[in-house]
Amino acid sequence: MDYLGQLLANGLVLGAIYALAAVAFTLVYGVVRLVNFAFGELFMLGAFLTASLMLPEVRLLGAIVPMPGFSLPVAAAGAIALTAALGVLVDRIAYRPLRNAPRLAPLITSIAVSVVLQSLAQTVWGAEELRFPEFHLATLPPVVLFDSIYLSVMDLVVMATALAAMLGLSAFIARSSLGRAMRASAEDQMAATLVGIPVNRVVAAAFAIGSGFAALAGLLYAQTYGFAHSSMGFLPGLKALTAAVLGGIGSIPGAALGGLILGLVEALGSGYLPNGTAWKDAISFVLLVGLLYLRPQGLLGKPELNSAGRGSLLGGASEFGAGWLRAAFGKLDGGLARAASAGTPAALGLLALALVVGALLPSDYWLRILTLVVIYGMLASGLNVIVGFAGLLDLGFVAFWAVGAYLTSILFVLVLKDQFGVEPATIWWLLYLNLPLAGLLAAGFAVMLGTPTLRLRGDYLAIMTLGFGEIVRVVAINWMDLTNGPMGIRGIPAPNLFGIALGSPRAQFFFALALAVVVVFAIARLVRSYVGRAWVAIREDEEAAEAMGVPTARYKLYAYAASGFVGGFVGVFYAHTQQYISPLNFSLFENILLLMLVVLGGLGTFIGPFVGALIWIVFLQLALDLPFVQAYPETRFALLGIVLIVLMVFRPQGLAASARVALTMPGARPANAKEAA
Amino acid sequence: MKPLTGAPSPAPLLEARAITVRFGGLQAVGDLDMAIGRNAIHGLIGPNGAGKTTVLNVLTGFVRPTEGELVFDGAEIGGLGVNGFARRGLARTFQNIRLFGAMTVLESVLVGAHQRFSANALSLVFGRRAARAAEAAMIARAYELLAFVGLGAEVADRVATTLSYGHQRRVEIARALISSPKLLLLDEPLAGMNAVEKAEIADLVRQVRAQGIAVLLIEHDMQVVRRLCDHLTVLEYGRKLADGPPEQVLADPAVQAAYLGRAR
Ligand SMILES: Nc1ncnc2c1ncn2[C@@H]1O[C@H](COP(=O)(O)OP(=O)(O)O)[C@@H](O)[C@H]1O
Ligand SMILES: [Mg+2]
Repeated sequence: MDYLGQLLANGLVLGAIYALAAVAFTLVYGVVRLVNFAFGELFMLGAFLTASLMLPEVRLLGAIVPMPGFSLPVAAAGAIALTAALGVLVDRIAYRPLRNAPRLAPLITSIAVSVVLQSLAQTVWGAEELRFPEFHLATLPPVVLFDSIYLSVMDLVVMATALAAMLGLSAFIARSSLGRAMRASAEDQMAATLVGIPVNRVVAAAFAIGSGFAALAGLLYAQTYGFAHSSMGFLPGLKALTAAVLGGIGSIPGAALGGLILGLVEALGSGYLPNGTAWKDAISFVLLVGLLYLRPQGLLGKPELNSAGRGSLLGGASEFGAGWLRAAFGKLDGGLARAASAGTPAALGLLALALVVGALLPSDYWLRILTLVVIYGMLASGLNVIVGFAGLLDLGFVAFWAVGAYLTSILFVLVLKDQFGVEPATIWWLLYLNLPLAGLLAAGFAVMLGTPTLRLRGDYLAIMTLGFGEIVRVVAINWMDLTNGPMGIRGIPAPNLFGIALGSPRAQFFFALALAVVVVFAIARLVRSYVGRAWVAIREDEEAAEAMGVPTARYKLYAYAASGFVGGFVGVFYAHTQQYISPLNFSLFENILLLMLVVLGGLGTFIGPFVGALIWIVFLQLALDLPFVQAYPETRFALLGIVLIVLMVFRPQGLAASARVALTMPGARPANAKEAA
Repeated sequence: MKPLTGAPSPAPLLEARAITVRFGGLQAVGDLDMAIGRNAIHGLIGPNGAGKTTVLNVLTGFVRPTEGELVFDGAEIGGLGVNGFARRGLARTFQNIRLFGAMTVLESVLVGAHQRFSANALSLVFGRRAARAAEAAMIARAYELLAFVGLGAEVADRVATTLSYGHQRRVEIARALISSPKLLLLDEPLAGMNAVEKAEIADLVRQVRAQGIAVLLIEHDMQVVRRLCDHLTVLEYGRKLADGPPEQVLADPAVQAAYLGRAR
């Protein structure tokens, strides 16, 4: 009972924090239908700003800067105000131009804003934790309830603050005209515009309040755990989103309820499940996935939020940018479109070019980088099947990649070498067996994960797949016996063919190229058939596709399977070239990166993923020559984020908007047959 | 074709029995009985908002009726998913054209032939001859159908949504026909067309029927309906107002009141 009481108390503290951050997600989603992933980072900034304002001095960009040394309440108020202003600014710059753009553009922008904010925070405050200064109330002795439950004074302060903030917000929404306008927009944005509610002001208010709540949650979190760190917002951000979805995104009481439930479930789970502390992150995501499966609209939400527009994930033209900019984008688009539709001769030409470069390039360093380009290109191609062709936004793709990488690593290292003492070189052929085996395993896995998502669309689909990806990562970290946990698996042998080690960068590049040929060829053959036509039809208009006799559920699963197969297949090779894997290799960030590569190079094309990978990875290396980037390597990610934001604002339809591939089998057309004869 | 074994009227192709559709509080279709004969051109008419599209949605599985049952070609089909309706031989077009964006005309039409393909993933990847032959056969069929609906082969490679409105309608009809349906359901295919185009499409409908495919046609133009249809069902406020041969139905005072009393 004492133990339970203590867990409940801890759960309430955590739940209060989640609830505050969940309000941020829910408020903004209610008004603009945007899942603003950047709230996790605003949460983190709230913590950093508060800590900085409380300290006498902090190290910023490596220099010691004197600080006012306020007490916690004053510092918190300052941090909240600053973060709220930042939230409004972000909306103004990155989201407002995209109000009418289709689903993927604002989602990408919000992810990009996250990346920018996190990289900047790391640049400014450094990669180490910043200790959160102790507030004088925290030195008071804890309150003891029922002789056994210990609550620090600060825990009580956290709960009281959260309660006060929630009540304040409720009163604001019920009483003030701005609050009422906010609620009206949440109910029906169209009607709100019609009755003359100034939507932009309402949205700005929602962002200000939401960002303020995120900052408050972040500083309370940092206060409770005693530190601030640039990546601290990531998991709590996802959990707050989970809480918001749990309660029914768009509903403020729902967010409070979802936050409390999540906090309590997490506290109880980590207290009672075997090895529960390690698994507590998985608990939240299992809850999320289960709820979305059973009741997609959340506990208190509305079902119509689980819907999505038709057509490609990107689209619509920007109203911004000068004529020359549009013309330039148009030219680039035309070029990419021509490249995408050039077909087999162009593909063979590119392959020949790659072979020549691979044979002549003197630098091992650049060969390694090009190998990485090919690997990422292949992975992005796999993701492209589901996102680009079938139009399903999948944020859990890395899981399939992880399945392949772990399968081969576990077999080679943990089982054969460690258990049976088999030298990898003697069983070199196993790699070639593992490639299709891992592909099939990952495909099966993809179908398993895909099945419960079939009813979901748009943002909910993205959130659910994201939940799956996180579950797989947490499992990889914690299932020590199977995966070696966070230590990862070392000593994975380099590829080998008939006893000839293919360890040299040049050999590996050619190996990668050979796999890429297989991957692109197989994908192209599937896409250029009735299967690909069914996928694109589903992407463009799911109902009409059904009416044409396409069993859409089955074809979505095929898309998951094909995408999973590629992930698993490439994962095997990835493990053997890296020779070391750990759960860190398969983070959500990697998935986002792959998505960005596809968007950069062209959704729904064959060469797009490789173009995107080439641009990004080569940029990553070249940027290292800049002195500033050398000092702060993480600014490269900020730059990627900025590039993406600019791209989405000025060109929400993506660089290769008009690129499309033919969806009929080459050589099956009567005209072609005549030519050949 | 089944031989007529003395029965005066063979079983209808599609029978809808006591169909009721409610959207929340609104009853869009009430207790509707309707039978579409084999090889008929069956007109479904009624003022705007009468529930015609809803009936067509029920007959193609888009809307599950609140009550009632559907028998198609002798089998109960009410429980099927939308693609099941299509697979049984019910093909449709949409009142607001719904072609697939980013697809060429040829590709769009081929989507309609989806159920005719059966190659598995491996034979697709390895380009087996049977898979190629099936594709080539369907492409040839698609070209035939494009010609049949009055489109030249030169539009085949244009993105379908960039065509003119009238041409898009024809693509939609070709996309529905390529599945070799038993019943083609057209939701206001003549809307927004000039007299020449209307005559062409009406002619097309007759040719479809000549191939042994029954047609359900929603249409407002009474001249066309009178000349084209063998049988009419009139809806008003979701209920059946009249049902029978065109001459008889259009002479019915209740139908005239429903039509003449309004704008149309
Ligand atoms: N999905 C729907 N949800 C709610 N009401 C609908 C829906 N579809 C149609 N209705 C309503 O049903 C009635 C009949 O519509 P419809 O079948 O489109 O008529 P018609 O095609 O004869 O013009 C209309 O009042 C319409 O608003
Ligand atoms: Mg209608």
